[in-house]
Amino acid sequence: MNAIVWILWLTATMTFTLTTRNPLYIMIVLGGLFGLGNRLAKERNMTPWVLPNLRFLLTMILLSTLINGLFSHVGNTALFSIPQSWPLIGGDITLESLIYGVINGLVIGTLYILFNTINLALSTKQITRLIPHAFHPIAVVITIALTFFPSIQQRAREIKEAQMIRGNPMKKISDWIPIMIPLLVSSLENAILLAESMTARGFHKQTELQSPRALVSLILAAFMIFSGWILQMYRFPSLFFISLYILGTSLVTITLLTIGKQANVTRYHQETWTKTSMFSAALIGIYIAGFAFLALIGRLSTLGFSPYPRLHLPAIQTLGLIFSLIPLLPILVLHHD
Amino acid sequence: MINFNALSFQYPQSSHKVLDNVSFEIPPGTLTLVTGASGSGKSTLLRCINGLVPHFSGGTITGQIRVFGFDPIREGVEVLAKIVGFVFQEPEAQFVFDVVEDEIAFSLENLGVSRAEMDRRIAEVLRQLQLQKLRYKQINQISGGEQQKVAIAGALVTHPKVLILDEPTSQLDPTAADEVLRMILDLKSQLNLTVLIAEHRLERLLPYVDRMLNLTPEQTVTFGLPAEVLSTMEQVPPIIEIARKLGLSPLPLAPETFPNDSLDYIPLVSRQAQPTPIDKPETLLSVQQLSTNLGDKQILEKINLDIHKGEVLVLMGPNGAGKTTFLRSILQMIPSSGTIIYGKVHLENMSFPQIIQHIAYLPQNPNDLLFAESIIDELKITLENHNRDINQVNFRKFLDLFGLGDQGDRYPRDLSVGERQRTALAAITVHDPEIIFLDEPTRGLDYQAKKALSHLFHQWRQGGKSIVLVTHDVEFAAHLADRVAILEDGKLVFTGKPVTAFTTFPPYQTQTAKLFPGRGWIIPEDVVSNTA
Repeated sequence: MNAIVWILWLTATMTFTLTTRNPLYIMIVLGGLFGLGNRLAKERNMTPWVLPNLRFLLTMILLSTLINGLFSHVGNTALFSIPQSWPLIGGDITLESLIYGVINGLVIGTLYILFNTINLALSTKQITRLIPHAFHPIAVVITIALTFFPSIQQRAREIKEAQMIRGNPMKKISDWIPIMIPLLVSSLENAILLAESMTARGFHKQTELQSPRALVSLILAAFMIFSGWILQMYRFPSLFFISLYILGTSLVTITLLTIGKQANVTRYHQETWTKTSMFSAALIGIYIAGFAFLALIGRLSTLGFSPYPRLHLPAIQTLGLIFSLIPLLPILVLHHD
Repeated sequence: MINFNALSFQYPQSSHKVLDNVSFEIPPGTLTLVTGASGSGKSTLLRCINGLVPHFSGGTITGQIRVFGFDPIREGVEVLAKIVGFVFQEPEAQFVFDVVEDEIAFSLENLGVSRAEMDRRIAEVLRQLQLQKLRYKQINQISGGEQQKVAIAGALVTHPKVLILDEPTSQLDPTAADEVLRMILDLKSQLNLTVLIAEHRLERLLPYVDRMLNLTPEQTVTFGLPAEVLSTMEQVPPIIEIARKLGLSPLPLAPETFPNDSLDYIPLVSRQAQPTPIDKPETLLSVQQLSTNLGDKQILEKINLDIHKGEVLVLMGPNGAGKTTFLRSILQMIPSSGTIIYGKVHLENMSFPQIIQHIAYLPQNPNDLLFAESIIDELKITLENHNRDINQVNFRKFLDLFGLGDQGDRYPRDLSVGERQRTALAAITVHDPEIIFLDEPTRGLDYQAKKALSHLFHQWRQGGKSIVLVTHDVEFAAHLADRVAILEDGKLVFTGKPVTAFTTFPPYQTQTAKLFPGRGWIIPEDVVSNTA
């Protein structure tokens, strides 16, 4: 599936997850994500994938439940009480606040698993390929940052092990200093080596972002967008600020495209648009538009759910169920491909 | 051709010149071996050829360089990148992307090559290096040898005239190293490349080099035919050492080119040199039926091996055979099955802090161990970690053993590679463990630094310590081994005398063994002690 379609899918799934607090819908999304993630992980021989993600999800739920339960004392079903004299946490621990914590944990965990799934679906190169040519150096830097993070984690593990070999018990915070120093030094050394390697392979400042014309154009575009925002704040007619937004973003796009064409870099891969990708993009486009429209006119009332003041079952509606099936779309596409 | 004319270079904030009045001329289509002790300026010299020095490094440069008509000092790295391919020492540290073909395409993208042309060139270089099967693989899922080949492919894809490799085989096992070297030689003749390789282990390359360039820390540079340059060098590979002792001239560069008649007339004495066998060895550590899995993959399969008191046990095997896993499994750093008995105690019943009181472990990267302000502080920290009294140790005397007696106040990261390695060894052994595990301790070390390590290990052995040495460095291992174990695919395929290991297993044959087949000689000292 085309990388742009994946990003559209990510946007749609994220929008839905952030908009709803209905635990049933979130669980459906989660189930779909686990199914999709597991399939992608198997394709990439990255097992076990489900277990670590499930562990993170449960940790988030536990933490969120504890925090909400201890600090929010709203709700009619008191399970037990903490003395009022205890600062911050004193009061009733209610079933409703615990459930609200569970829901928040579910949302955080879902977002985490969503991003883990997109990491499986797209290589770092595919992600950075979406960045315009004009920002080629930035794209490369992002790529490195994305690949650097796992390697730093690996280095941290190696250094921790090396320090434990010297008898460091790794119990107190100060015991971690011997990890930080070698990690910092080796990260800097590796960064210099990588920069040297990139320079030796012809990587250099490729674009004319700092040329006066490009700068004037980008500053003008920023001014238009900012003015539009000011006008919107002071409740001017929407025609004014929407026009400024459109003009500003168009100017940014044109400037970047022009600079991009001047950049003497090429890209090895080009995203291909198959019929399935185009169909999927159209479907997700309809999904996002339809979801936004229905939510705005209040036809998706079951998205919101609050367990307060007394716990009750969340309401469901067919439309909500359909929208929560969005993680299944890539599974169908992958199956079809 | 590559021409250096009175080139001098000094790094910023440095008080002395790294290169001083260097002049030489490398003919096109030749292979030049660049050698010299650590810190002699090998890497700096190589970086002058593509303009990384001074354009990336900064510093003051005088003199002239011409690389196939280009001037790296004036034109810079951007221009030279088109004709000079550079492969750095640690391939994994130079990769930008996570997939093989993307990594190879990086240089071409920077040069603005069209997509169709990129596709053609990538296919071509993958075919030349026989990497077609790896094209879509994740780089972190391929072996060290394959990673090195990918790095070379990334450098060759721009069709350079010059290929520079900085210690390309330092992390590879003998088989993988041979494979990479053969591939470089094939490419050199196919593409008429001018190749420069910096390398410490000369024995691997000598048979194939056309020119040699030797640098010393005193900034003297010798350039010429290999035999000429070798005659001026103190530290040389075993074959040259033997040839010198036999008074041969010109010096043969490979066992195959050693004059047969000179071997036939070597007068023999009756004695056969062998490492002194230990009478009735006392088993200090017994490994029984050790099996280890990492994820779904079985890394070690039912290993049985005893480690004796006061011996050097060399553990060899190809990359990925499970050597490091074996050490880590014994130390209980990885869950495993089987029995490990230290003295009379089962290691499974000991905690990790208890185990490392008795068994020290030097991991592959000694830098991971060092973080304190001075060498002595490093020692004190280890002692404190083990709840030992720091006043009981005479640090000066202890550091003398490591050749660091007068350097206790120095900052560890300012030391040379060899000194840092010995500091790390001091830091893991200051609490006086009985067994020492060493994982590739000679990686990146020059002859001098290896000699210092060898001396240290001899002293440890004499002091009754047991050493388990994991290494790819066959010549170094042959000097030290009391016993050899060979691991392949997680199985112990050989345990026995060094003379058997270093004469019968082709990847591990020493130069001396190749030179004198059937005589049971594995190091130059064997030849000397057996000839009149």
